[in-house]
Amino acid sequence: MSEEIEFLDACETASRIAAKDISSVEVTEAAIRRAERLQPVLNAFISLEAEVALDAARAVDTRIANGEPVGSLAGVPLAHKDMYYREGKVTTCGSKIRKDFVADHTATVLQRLEGAGALYLGGLNMSEFAVGPIGNNVHFGDCRNPWDTAHAPGGSSSGSGASVAARIVYGALGSDTGGSIRIPSAMSGVVGLKPTQTRVSRNGLMPLSFSFDCGGPLTRTVRDASRIFDVIAGHDPKDPTSSQRPLESCDASCEQTVEGMKIGIPTTYYFEDVDAPVSSLVDEACKVFRDLGAELVEAQVPDHEEMNLIWAAALSAEAATIHRKWLIERPEDYGGMVRRRIEFGLYQPATRYLEALTLRDGFLRDYCAKAFRDCDLLLTPTMPITAPRLSDVDVGDSEEMPALVLRISKNTRPISYLGLPALSVPCGFTSDGLPTAFQLIGRPFDEATLCRAGHVYQSATDWHAKVPELAA
Amino acid sequence: MEEITGDFVARLASVWHRLILPEGDEETLAEMLVPMDAAGERVAPRVGFDMEPSDFEATLSDLARRRDG
Repeated sequence: MSEEIEFLDACETASRIAAKDISSVEVTEAAIRRAERLQPVLNAFISLEAEVALDAARAVDTRIANGEPVGSLAGVPLAHKDMYYREGKVTTCGSKIRKDFVADHTATVLQRLEGAGALYLGGLNMSEFAVGPIGNNVHFGDCRNPWDTAHAPGGSSSGSGASVAARIVYGALGSDTGGSIRIPSAMSGVVGLKPTQTRVSRNGLMPLSFSFDCGGPLTRTVRDASRIFDVIAGHDPKDPTSSQRPLESCDASCEQTVEGMKIGIPTTYYFEDVDAPVSSLVDEACKVFRDLGAELVEAQVPDHEEMNLIWAAALSAEAATIHRKWLIERPEDYGGMVRRRIEFGLYQPATRYLEALTLRDGFLRDYCAKAFRDCDLLLTPTMPITAPRLSDVDVGDSEEMPALVLRISKNTRPISYLGLPALSVPCGFTSDGLPTAFQLIGRPFDEATLCRAGHVYQSATDWHAKVPELAA
Repeated sequence: MEEITGDFVARLASVWHRLILPEGDEETLAEMLVPMDAAGERVAPRVGFDMEPSDFEATLSDLARRRDG
Protein backbone atom coordinates (compact mmCIF):
# COMPACT_ATOMS: atom_id res chain seq x y z
CA MET A 1 0.00 0.00 0.00
CA SER A 2 2.73 2.43 0.98
CA GLU A 3 4.51 1.95 -2.34
CA GLU A 4 1.34 2.90 -4.20
CA ILE A 5 0.96 6.00 -2.05
CA GLU A 6 4.43 7.17 -2.91
CA PHE A 7 3.91 7.10 -6.65
CA LEU A 8 0.78 9.27 -6.69
CA ASP A 9 1.13 12.95 -7.55
CA ALA A 10 0.31 15.72 -5.10
CA CYS A 11 -3.15 16.48 -6.51
CA GLU A 12 -4.25 12.84 -6.45
CA THR A 13 -2.82 12.38 -2.96
CA ALA A 14 -4.72 15.41 -1.68
CA SER A 15 -7.93 14.09 -3.25
CA ARG A 16 -7.55 10.67 -1.67
CA ILE A 17 -6.73 12.11 1.74
CA ALA A 18 -9.77 14.40 1.55
CA ALA A 19 -11.93 11.43 0.51
CA LYS A 20 -10.53 9.40 3.47
CA ASP A 21 -9.23 6.71 1.08
CA ILE A 22 -5.87 7.14 2.72
CA SER A 23 -4.74 9.10 5.75
CA SER A 24 -2.21 11.88 5.82
CA VAL A 25 -0.36 9.97 8.54
CA GLU A 26 0.08 6.96 6.23
CA VAL A 27 1.35 9.20 3.45
CA THR A 28 3.70 11.04 5.76
CA GLU A 29 5.10 7.92 7.39
CA ALA A 30 5.87 6.52 3.93
CA ALA A 31 7.58 9.77 2.94
CA ILE A 32 9.69 9.73 6.12
CA ARG A 33 10.72 6.11 5.56
CA ARG A 34 11.80 6.94 2.04
CA ALA A 35 13.63 10.10 3.11
CA GLU A 36 15.59 8.14 5.72
CA ARG A 37 16.35 5.26 3.35
CA LEU A 38 17.57 7.46 0.52
CA GLN A 39 19.41 10.13 2.52
CA PRO A 40 22.74 8.23 2.52
CA VAL A 41 22.42 7.81 -1.24
CA LEU A 42 21.09 11.21 -2.37
CA ASN A 43 21.89 13.61 0.48
CA ALA A 44 18.78 15.57 -0.51
CA PHE A 45 17.92 16.86 2.98
CA ILE A 46 19.76 19.28 5.22
CA SER A 47 17.17 18.84 7.97
CA LEU A 48 14.39 16.28 8.29
CA GLU A 49 11.52 17.25 10.60
CA ALA A 50 9.66 13.97 10.90
CA GLU A 51 7.82 14.73 14.14
CA VAL A 52 6.71 18.18 12.96
CA ALA A 53 5.30 16.65 9.79
CA LEU A 54 3.59 13.78 11.63
CA ASP A 55 1.93 16.14 14.13
CA ALA A 56 0.60 18.23 11.24
CA ALA A 57 -0.58 15.06 9.45
CA ARG A 58 -2.53 13.96 12.52
CA ALA A 59 -4.15 17.40 12.70
CA VAL A 60 -5.22 17.20 9.05
CA ASP A 61 -6.68 13.71 9.53
CA THR A 62 -8.62 14.93 12.56
CA ARG A 63 -10.06 17.88 10.65
CA ILE A 64 -11.17 15.60 7.83
CA ALA A 65 -12.65 13.08 10.25
CA ASN A 66 -14.61 15.90 11.88
CA GLY A 67 -15.94 17.06 8.51
CA GLU A 68 -14.10 20.39 8.68
CA PRO A 69 -13.02 22.08 5.43
CA VAL A 70 -9.40 21.62 4.38
CA GLY A 71 -7.21 23.24 1.75
CA SER A 72 -6.20 22.09 -1.72
CA LEU A 73 -2.96 20.48 -0.50
CA ALA A 74 -4.22 19.14 2.82
CA GLY A 75 -2.07 16.41 4.28
CA VAL A 76 0.50 16.35 1.45
CA PRO A 77 4.17 16.27 2.57
CA LEU A 78 6.40 18.87 0.92
CA ALA A 79 9.94 20.01 1.70
CA HIS A 80 11.71 23.15 0.57
CA LYS A 81 15.08 24.49 -0.44
CA ASP A 82 16.74 25.43 2.84
CA MET A 83 16.46 29.18 2.25
CA TYR A 84 12.79 29.74 3.12
CA TYR A 85 12.63 31.14 6.64
CA ARG A 86 10.60 29.47 9.38
CA GLU A 87 10.27 31.35 12.64
CA GLY A 88 12.44 29.84 15.34
CA LYS A 89 14.06 27.33 12.99
CA VAL A 90 17.55 27.17 11.52
CA THR A 91 17.71 28.09 7.81
CA THR A 92 21.19 27.40 6.52
CA CYS A 93 21.01 28.69 2.93
CA GLY A 94 23.36 25.78 2.23
CA SER A 95 26.17 27.75 3.82
CA LYS A 96 28.67 27.55 6.65
CA ILE A 97 28.09 31.22 7.37
CA ARG A 98 24.39 30.71 8.13
CA LYS A 99 24.53 27.17 9.47
CA ASP A 100 23.17 28.32 12.84
CA PHE A 101 20.96 31.19 11.62
CA VAL A 102 17.54 31.11 13.29
CA ALA A 103 14.83 32.98 11.38
CA ASP A 104 12.64 35.44 13.26
CA HIS A 105 9.73 35.18 10.84
CA THR A 106 8.16 32.70 8.46
CA ALA A 107 8.20 33.14 4.70
CA THR A 108 4.84 34.22 3.30
CA VAL A 109 4.82 31.33 0.82
CA LEU A 110 5.31 28.81 3.62
CA GLN A 111 2.41 30.37 5.52
CA ARG A 112 0.26 30.11 2.40
CA LEU A 113 1.19 26.46 1.88
CA GLU A 114 0.42 25.72 5.51
CA GLY A 115 -2.91 27.48 5.05
CA ALA A 116 -3.65 25.11 2.17
CA GLY A 117 -2.92 22.18 4.48
CA ALA A 118 0.47 21.18 3.08
CA LEU A 119 2.96 19.58 5.47
CA TYR A 120 6.61 20.58 5.97
CA LEU A 121 9.01 17.65 5.99
CA GLY A 122 12.28 19.54 6.11
CA GLY A 123 14.92 21.79 4.56
CA LEU A 124 16.52 20.59 1.34
CA ASN A 125 20.10 20.64 0.14
CA MET A 126 21.08 23.43 -2.24
CA SER A 127 24.07 25.16 -3.77
CA GLU A 128 25.71 27.42 -1.21
CA PHE A 129 23.77 30.71 -1.06
CA ALA A 130 21.90 29.58 -4.22
CA VAL A 131 24.99 30.19 -6.35
CA GLY A 132 25.78 27.54 -8.96
CA PRO A 133 23.84 25.38 -11.43
CA ILE A 134 25.51 22.06 -10.59
CA GLY A 135 24.06 21.39 -7.16
CA ASN A 136 27.26 20.53 -5.35
CA ASN A 137 27.90 21.83 -1.85
CA VAL A 138 31.23 21.84 -0.02
CA HIS A 139 29.63 22.38 3.42
CA PHE A 140 26.77 19.84 3.47
CA GLY A 141 28.07 17.41 0.85
CA ASP A 142 26.95 17.03 -2.73
CA CYS A 143 23.35 16.17 -3.46
CA ARG A 144 23.11 13.39 -6.08
CA ASN A 145 20.99 12.73 -9.11
CA PRO A 146 18.40 9.97 -8.48
CA TRP A 147 18.67 8.72 -12.07
CA ASP A 148 22.38 8.08 -11.69
CA THR A 149 24.08 9.02 -8.47
CA ALA A 150 27.38 9.60 -10.25
CA HIS A 151 25.75 12.59 -11.93
CA ALA A 152 24.92 16.09 -10.70
CA PRO A 153 21.31 16.81 -9.70
CA GLY A 154 21.43 20.38 -11.00
CA GLY A 155 21.34 23.53 -8.91
CA SER A 156 20.90 25.58 -7.15
CA SER A 157 17.67 23.88 -5.96
CA SER A 158 19.43 20.49 -5.97
CA GLY A 159 17.61 18.81 -3.08
CA SER A 160 14.26 20.03 -4.39
CA GLY A 161 14.76 18.28 -7.73
CA ALA A 162 16.29 15.13 -6.24
CA SER A 163 13.70 14.65 -3.47
CA VAL A 164 10.77 15.06 -5.86
CA ALA A 165 12.31 12.81 -8.51
CA ALA A 166 13.00 10.11 -5.90
CA ARG A 167 9.34 10.26 -4.82
CA ILE A 168 10.26 11.28 -1.28
CA VAL A 169 8.11 14.41 -1.25
CA TYR A 170 5.22 15.40 -3.50
CA GLY A 171 6.60 18.82 -4.31
CA ALA A 172 9.22 21.32 -3.18
CA LEU A 173 9.87 25.00 -3.45
CA GLY A 174 13.06 26.17 -5.08
CA SER A 175 14.27 29.58 -6.15
CA ASP A 176 15.43 30.79 -9.55
CA THR A 177 17.77 33.70 -10.25
CA GLY A 178 19.29 32.42 -13.49
CA GLY A 179 17.83 28.94 -13.84
CA SER A 180 17.94 27.45 -10.34
CA ILE A 181 14.45 25.93 -10.56
CA ARG A 182 14.51 24.92 -14.22
CA ILE A 183 18.02 23.43 -14.30
CA PRO A 184 17.57 20.93 -11.43
CA SER A 185 14.11 20.14 -12.79
CA ALA A 186 15.62 19.26 -16.15
CA MET A 187 18.58 17.34 -14.72
CA SER A 188 16.46 15.38 -12.23
CA GLY A 189 13.48 14.73 -14.52
CA VAL A 190 10.77 16.71 -12.73
CA VAL A 191 8.63 19.75 -13.52
CA GLY A 192 9.85 23.23 -12.55
CA LEU A 193 7.90 26.47 -12.74
CA LYS A 194 9.68 29.82 -12.58
CA PRO A 195 6.90 32.38 -12.26
CA THR A 196 6.98 35.92 -13.60
CA GLN A 197 9.29 38.12 -11.53
CA THR A 198 7.17 39.78 -8.76
CA ARG A 199 4.40 37.16 -9.03
CA VAL A 200 5.41 35.29 -5.87
CA SER A 201 6.26 36.97 -2.58
CA ARG A 202 9.89 36.91 -1.53
CA ASN A 203 9.21 37.82 2.07
CA GLY A 204 11.23 35.34 4.11
CA LEU A 205 13.24 34.06 1.15
CA MET A 206 17.02 34.40 1.46
CA PRO A 207 18.02 36.99 -1.11
CA LEU A 208 20.68 36.56 -3.76
CA SER A 209 19.61 39.30 -6.14
CA PHE A 210 16.71 41.70 -5.49
CA SER A 211 16.00 42.10 -9.18
CA PHE A 212 16.04 38.49 -10.34
CA ASP A 213 15.17 36.17 -7.42
CA CYS A 214 11.98 34.25 -7.93
CA GLY A 215 10.42 31.43 -5.86
CA GLY A 216 8.50 28.57 -7.44
CA PRO A 217 7.68 24.85 -7.30
CA LEU A 218 9.42 21.67 -8.46
CA THR A 219 6.90 18.86 -8.78
CA ARG A 220 6.08 15.45 -10.26
CA THR A 221 3.50 16.85 -12.70
CA VAL A 222 2.54 20.16 -14.27
CA ARG A 223 -0.83 19.89 -12.53
CA ASP A 224 0.95 19.78 -9.16
CA ALA A 225 3.05 22.81 -10.07
CA SER A 226 -0.11 24.64 -11.08
CA ARG A 227 -1.79 23.91 -7.78
CA ILE A 228 1.19 24.97 -5.70
CA PHE A 229 1.57 28.12 -7.80
CA ASP A 230 -2.09 29.01 -7.23
CA VAL A 231 -1.49 28.75 -3.48
CA ILE A 232 1.74 30.74 -3.25
CA ALA A 233 1.24 33.43 -5.92
CA GLY A 234 -0.36 36.83 -5.51
CA HIS A 235 0.34 40.13 -3.82
CA ASP A 236 1.84 40.15 -0.36
CA PRO A 237 1.86 43.39 1.67
CA LYS A 238 5.08 42.14 3.29
CA ASP A 239 6.79 42.19 -0.13
CA PRO A 240 5.98 45.59 -1.66
CA THR A 241 7.61 44.51 -4.93
CA SER A 242 5.03 41.74 -5.41
CA SER A 243 2.54 42.39 -8.19
CA GLN A 244 -1.05 43.40 -7.47
CA ARG A 245 -2.26 42.04 -10.81
CA PRO A 246 -5.17 39.58 -10.34
CA LEU A 247 -4.25 35.89 -10.62
CA GLU A 248 -5.48 33.54 -13.29
CA SER A 249 -5.77 30.00 -11.90
CA CYS A 250 -3.18 27.70 -13.41
CA ASP A 251 -4.92 24.66 -11.94
CA ALA A 252 -8.11 25.59 -13.84
CA SER A 253 -6.17 26.24 -17.04
CA CYS A 254 -5.12 22.58 -17.05
CA GLU A 255 -8.69 21.71 -18.09
CA GLN A 256 -8.21 23.35 -21.50
CA THR A 257 -6.76 21.93 -24.72
CA VAL A 258 -3.93 23.27 -26.89
CA GLU A 259 -5.95 23.20 -30.11
CA GLY A 260 -5.18 26.36 -32.03
CA MET A 261 -2.40 27.34 -29.64
CA LYS A 262 0.59 28.81 -31.46
CA ILE A 263 3.94 27.62 -30.13
CA GLY A 264 6.98 29.54 -31.30
CA ILE A 265 10.25 27.74 -32.00
CA PRO A 266 13.10 30.27 -31.84
CA THR A 267 15.22 30.27 -34.98
CA THR A 268 18.35 31.48 -33.18
CA TYR A 269 20.23 31.03 -29.90
CA TYR A 270 18.24 28.40 -27.94
CA PHE A 271 18.81 25.47 -30.30
CA GLU A 272 22.44 26.33 -31.00
CA ASP A 273 25.13 24.18 -29.37
CA VAL A 274 22.55 21.66 -28.11
CA ASP A 275 23.71 18.04 -27.78
CA ALA A 276 22.11 15.86 -30.46
CA PRO A 277 20.23 13.49 -28.11
CA VAL A 278 18.69 16.47 -26.29
CA SER A 279 17.75 18.14 -29.54
CA SER A 280 16.15 14.95 -30.83
CA LEU A 281 13.98 14.52 -27.73
CA VAL A 282 12.86 18.14 -27.85
CA ASP A 283 11.95 17.65 -31.52
CA GLU A 284 9.82 14.68 -30.48
CA ALA A 285 8.04 16.87 -27.96
CA CYS A 286 7.28 19.36 -30.73
CA LYS A 287 5.67 16.56 -32.73
CA VAL A 288 3.49 15.64 -29.76
CA PHE A 289 2.25 19.22 -29.55
CA ARG A 290 1.53 19.24 -33.27
CA ASP A 291 -0.45 16.01 -32.95
CA LEU A 292 -2.42 17.56 -30.12
CA GLY A 293 -3.59 20.39 -32.37
CA ALA A 294 -1.07 23.12 -31.61
CA GLU A 295 0.46 25.06 -34.45
CA LEU A 296 4.26 25.33 -34.42
CA VAL A 297 5.64 28.50 -35.93
CA GLU A 298 9.10 30.02 -36.27
CA ALA A 299 9.84 32.78 -33.77
CA GLN A 300 12.46 35.50 -33.98
CA VAL A 301 14.32 36.46 -30.82
CA PRO A 302 16.75 39.35 -30.35
CA ASP A 303 20.45 38.82 -29.78
CA HIS A 304 21.13 37.53 -26.28
CA GLU A 305 24.84 38.13 -25.82
CA GLU A 306 24.60 41.57 -24.28
CA MET A 307 21.58 40.67 -22.17
CA ASN A 308 23.45 37.75 -20.64
CA LEU A 309 26.48 39.82 -19.79
CA ILE A 310 24.70 42.76 -18.24
CA TRP A 311 22.43 40.37 -16.31
CA ALA A 312 25.58 38.92 -14.75
CA ALA A 313 26.86 42.41 -13.94
CA ALA A 314 23.63 43.36 -12.17
CA LEU A 315 23.20 40.07 -10.35
CA SER A 316 26.76 40.06 -9.06
CA ALA A 317 26.50 43.68 -7.90
CA GLU A 318 23.38 42.90 -5.90
CA ALA A 319 24.81 39.68 -4.47
CA ALA A 320 28.06 41.42 -3.54
CA THR A 321 26.12 44.15 -1.76
CA ILE A 322 24.40 41.56 0.42
CA HIS A 323 27.60 39.57 1.04
CA ARG A 324 30.18 42.36 1.30
CA LYS A 325 30.58 42.19 5.05
CA TRP A 326 31.17 38.42 5.01
CA LEU A 327 33.42 38.61 1.95
CA ILE A 328 35.67 40.91 3.93
CA GLU A 329 35.43 39.28 7.35
CA ARG A 330 34.91 35.59 6.57
CA PRO A 331 36.17 34.86 3.05
CA GLU A 332 37.46 31.45 4.12
CA ASP A 333 33.93 30.35 5.06
CA TYR A 334 32.74 30.38 1.44
CA GLY A 335 33.37 27.67 -1.12
CA GLY A 336 36.01 29.01 -3.52
CA MET A 337 33.80 29.09 -6.61
CA VAL A 338 30.88 30.67 -4.77
CA ARG A 339 33.05 33.37 -3.24
CA ARG A 340 34.53 34.33 -6.56
CA ARG A 341 31.19 34.41 -8.37
CA ILE A 342 29.79 36.76 -5.74
CA GLU A 343 32.96 38.76 -5.26
CA PHE A 344 33.31 40.06 -8.78
CA GLY A 345 30.20 42.13 -8.16
CA LEU A 346 32.33 44.31 -5.87
CA TYR A 347 34.09 45.72 -8.91
CA GLN A 348 31.11 46.75 -11.04
CA PRO A 349 30.66 50.53 -11.31
CA ALA A 350 27.30 51.69 -9.94
CA THR A 351 26.51 53.18 -13.34
CA ARG A 352 27.01 49.78 -15.03
CA TYR A 353 24.66 48.14 -12.55
CA LEU A 354 21.99 50.77 -13.10
CA GLU A 355 22.40 50.59 -16.86
CA ALA A 356 21.59 46.89 -16.66
CA LEU A 357 18.40 47.57 -14.71
CA THR A 358 17.37 50.58 -16.77
CA LEU A 359 17.88 48.84 -20.09
CA ARG A 360 15.88 45.83 -18.98
CA ASP A 361 12.67 47.55 -20.04
CA GLY A 362 13.88 48.02 -23.61
CA PHE A 363 15.20 44.48 -23.82
CA LEU A 364 11.91 43.14 -22.45
CA ARG A 365 9.73 45.09 -24.87
CA ASP A 366 11.95 44.19 -27.80
CA TYR A 367 11.98 40.51 -26.84
CA CYS A 368 8.21 40.30 -26.35
CA ALA A 369 7.46 42.24 -29.52
CA LYS A 370 9.63 39.92 -31.61
CA ALA A 371 9.19 36.58 -29.88
CA PHE A 372 5.45 36.72 -29.19
CA ARG A 373 4.42 38.54 -32.36
CA ASP A 374 2.98 35.39 -33.93
CA CYS A 375 2.71 32.93 -31.07
CA ASP A 376 1.37 32.40 -27.55
CA LEU A 377 4.51 30.93 -26.03
CA LEU A 378 8.00 29.71 -26.95
CA LEU A 379 9.43 26.20 -26.72
CA THR A 380 13.17 25.60 -26.27
CA PRO A 381 15.41 22.97 -24.69
CA THR A 382 15.72 23.79 -20.98
CA MET A 383 19.41 22.89 -21.15
CA PRO A 384 21.71 22.10 -24.06
CA ILE A 385 23.09 19.03 -22.24
CA THR A 386 21.98 16.39 -19.74
CA ALA A 387 23.25 16.16 -16.18
CA PRO A 388 27.06 16.03 -16.18
CA ARG A 389 28.99 13.57 -14.03
CA LEU A 390 29.90 15.05 -10.65
CA SER A 391 33.52 13.97 -11.22
CA ASP A 392 33.60 15.90 -14.50
CA VAL A 393 32.30 19.10 -12.93
CA ASP A 394 34.47 18.87 -9.85
CA VAL A 395 36.60 21.67 -11.20
CA GLY A 396 36.46 23.71 -8.00
CA ASP A 397 37.10 27.34 -8.70
CA SER A 398 39.28 26.61 -11.69
CA GLU A 399 39.18 28.53 -14.94
CA GLU A 400 36.92 25.88 -16.47
CA MET A 401 34.07 26.72 -14.11
CA PRO A 402 32.75 29.92 -15.74
CA ALA A 403 32.45 28.21 -19.16
CA LEU A 404 30.64 25.25 -17.64
CA VAL A 405 28.22 27.47 -15.73
CA LEU A 406 27.51 29.49 -18.85
CA ARG A 407 26.75 26.42 -20.93
CA ILE A 408 24.44 24.81 -18.37
CA SER A 409 22.44 28.02 -17.86
CA LYS A 410 22.55 29.23 -21.46
CA ASN A 411 18.81 28.90 -22.09
CA THR A 412 17.59 29.93 -18.66
CA ARG A 413 19.64 33.07 -17.90
CA PRO A 414 18.09 35.42 -20.45
CA ILE A 415 14.61 34.59 -19.20
CA SER A 416 15.64 35.48 -15.67
CA TYR A 417 17.00 38.85 -16.82
CA LEU A 418 13.73 39.58 -18.59
CA GLY A 419 11.65 38.32 -15.66
CA LEU A 420 9.41 36.19 -17.86
CA PRO A 421 7.63 33.02 -16.66
CA ALA A 422 9.01 29.66 -17.77
CA LEU A 423 8.10 26.03 -17.22
CA SER A 424 10.50 23.09 -17.56
CA VAL A 425 8.84 19.78 -18.50
CA PRO A 426 10.59 16.37 -18.77
CA CYS A 427 10.47 15.00 -22.33
CA GLY A 428 12.38 11.72 -22.33
CA PHE A 429 15.68 10.07 -21.60
CA THR A 430 18.93 9.85 -23.50
CA SER A 431 20.51 6.42 -24.15
CA ASP A 432 22.46 6.67 -20.88
CA GLY A 433 19.21 6.96 -18.92
CA LEU A 434 19.41 10.64 -18.06
CA PRO A 435 16.36 12.90 -18.29
CA THR A 436 16.02 15.84 -20.62
CA ALA A 437 13.43 18.60 -20.76
CA PHE A 438 11.92 21.38 -22.77
CA GLN A 439 11.25 24.88 -21.52
CA LEU A 440 8.08 26.84 -22.27
CA ILE A 441 8.47 30.62 -22.05
CA GLY A 442 5.48 32.92 -21.71
CA ARG A 443 4.49 36.55 -21.71
CA PRO A 444 4.57 38.38 -18.39
CA PHE A 445 2.02 36.88 -15.95
CA ASP A 446 0.93 34.19 -18.41
CA GLU A 447 1.82 31.18 -16.28
CA ALA A 448 -1.63 29.76 -17.06
CA THR A 449 -0.84 29.23 -20.75
CA LEU A 450 2.42 27.49 -19.85
CA CYS A 451 0.66 25.17 -17.40
CA ARG A 452 -2.14 24.46 -19.87
CA ALA A 453 0.37 23.42 -22.55
CA GLY A 454 2.53 21.46 -20.12
CA HIS A 455 -0.40 19.57 -18.64
CA VAL A 456 -1.83 18.65 -22.05
CA TYR A 457 1.63 17.37 -23.06
CA GLN A 458 1.80 15.20 -19.93
CA SER A 459 -1.71 13.89 -20.59
CA ALA A 460 -0.44 12.53 -23.90
CA THR A 461 2.95 11.21 -22.68
CA ASP A 462 4.24 9.31 -19.67
CA TRP A 463 7.77 10.61 -19.15
CA HIS A 464 6.70 12.23 -15.88
CA ALA A 465 5.52 8.86 -14.57
CA LYS A 466 8.93 7.20 -14.91
CA VAL A 467 10.58 6.56 -11.55
CA PRO A 468 14.33 6.26 -10.89
CA GLU A 469 15.37 2.69 -10.15
CA LEU A 470 16.58 3.51 -6.65
CA ALA A 471 13.13 4.86 -5.82
CA ALA A 472 11.13 2.00 -7.36
CA MET B 1 42.31 53.66 -22.79
CA GLU B 2 43.62 51.31 -20.14
CA GLU B 3 42.23 47.78 -19.71
CA ILE B 4 40.93 45.99 -16.64
CA THR B 5 43.88 44.08 -15.21
CA GLY B 6 44.56 42.02 -12.13
CA ASP B 7 46.48 44.89 -10.59
CA PHE B 8 43.55 47.21 -11.16
CA VAL B 9 41.12 44.76 -9.51
CA ALA B 10 43.46 44.22 -6.57
CA ARG B 11 43.70 47.98 -6.07
CA LEU B 12 39.92 48.42 -6.24
CA ALA B 13 39.52 45.64 -3.69
CA SER B 14 41.96 47.29 -1.35
CA VAL B 15 40.76 50.89 -1.77
CA TRP B 16 37.00 50.44 -2.07
CA HIS B 17 36.44 47.35 0.05
CA ARG B 18 39.44 47.07 2.42
CA LEU B 19 39.87 43.59 1.01
CA ILE B 20 43.10 41.75 0.28
CA LEU B 21 42.38 39.20 -2.44
CA PRO B 22 43.71 35.64 -2.17
CA GLU B 23 46.75 34.98 -4.35
CA GLY B 24 45.80 34.77 -8.03
CA ASP B 25 42.18 35.81 -7.62
CA GLU B 26 42.73 39.25 -9.10
CA GLU B 27 43.67 37.86 -12.53
CA THR B 28 40.63 35.55 -12.69
CA LEU B 29 38.33 38.34 -11.56
CA ALA B 30 39.77 40.67 -14.18
CA GLU B 31 39.13 38.05 -16.87
CA MET B 32 35.52 37.74 -15.71
CA LEU B 33 35.05 41.50 -15.74
CA VAL B 34 36.44 42.25 -19.19
CA PRO B 35 33.57 40.85 -21.35
CA MET B 36 30.98 42.32 -19.00
CA ASP B 37 32.59 45.71 -19.19
CA ALA B 38 32.72 45.51 -22.97
CA ALA B 39 29.03 44.59 -23.17
CA GLY B 40 28.22 47.42 -20.80
CA GLU B 41 30.07 49.88 -23.00
CA ARG B 42 28.14 48.65 -26.05
CA VAL B 43 24.71 49.03 -24.47
CA ALA B 44 25.33 52.15 -22.38
CA PRO B 45 24.54 54.58 -25.23
CA ARG B 46 21.02 53.18 -25.31
CA VAL B 47 20.24 54.62 -21.88
CA GLY B 48 17.84 57.52 -22.35
CA PHE B 49 17.50 60.57 -20.13
CA ASP B 50 13.99 59.70 -18.93
CA MET B 51 14.13 55.90 -18.97
CA GLU B 52 12.82 53.94 -16.02
CA PRO B 53 13.29 50.33 -14.91
CA SER B 54 11.15 47.65 -16.54
CA ASP B 55 7.40 47.52 -16.22
CA PHE B 56 5.56 44.33 -17.15
CA GLU B 57 2.22 46.12 -17.51
CA ALA B 58 3.68 48.57 -20.04
CA THR B 59 5.20 45.67 -21.98
CA LEU B 60 1.86 43.86 -22.11
CA SER B 61 0.09 47.04 -23.29
CA ASP B 62 2.78 47.47 -25.90
CA LEU B 63 2.32 43.89 -27.08
CA ALA B 64 -1.48 44.23 -27.22
CA ARG B 65 -1.17 47.45 -29.21
CA ARG B 66 1.15 45.81 -31.73
CA ARG B 67 -1.19 42.83 -32.12
CA ASP B 68 -4.28 45.04 -32.53
CA GLY B 69 -2.48 47.35 -34.89
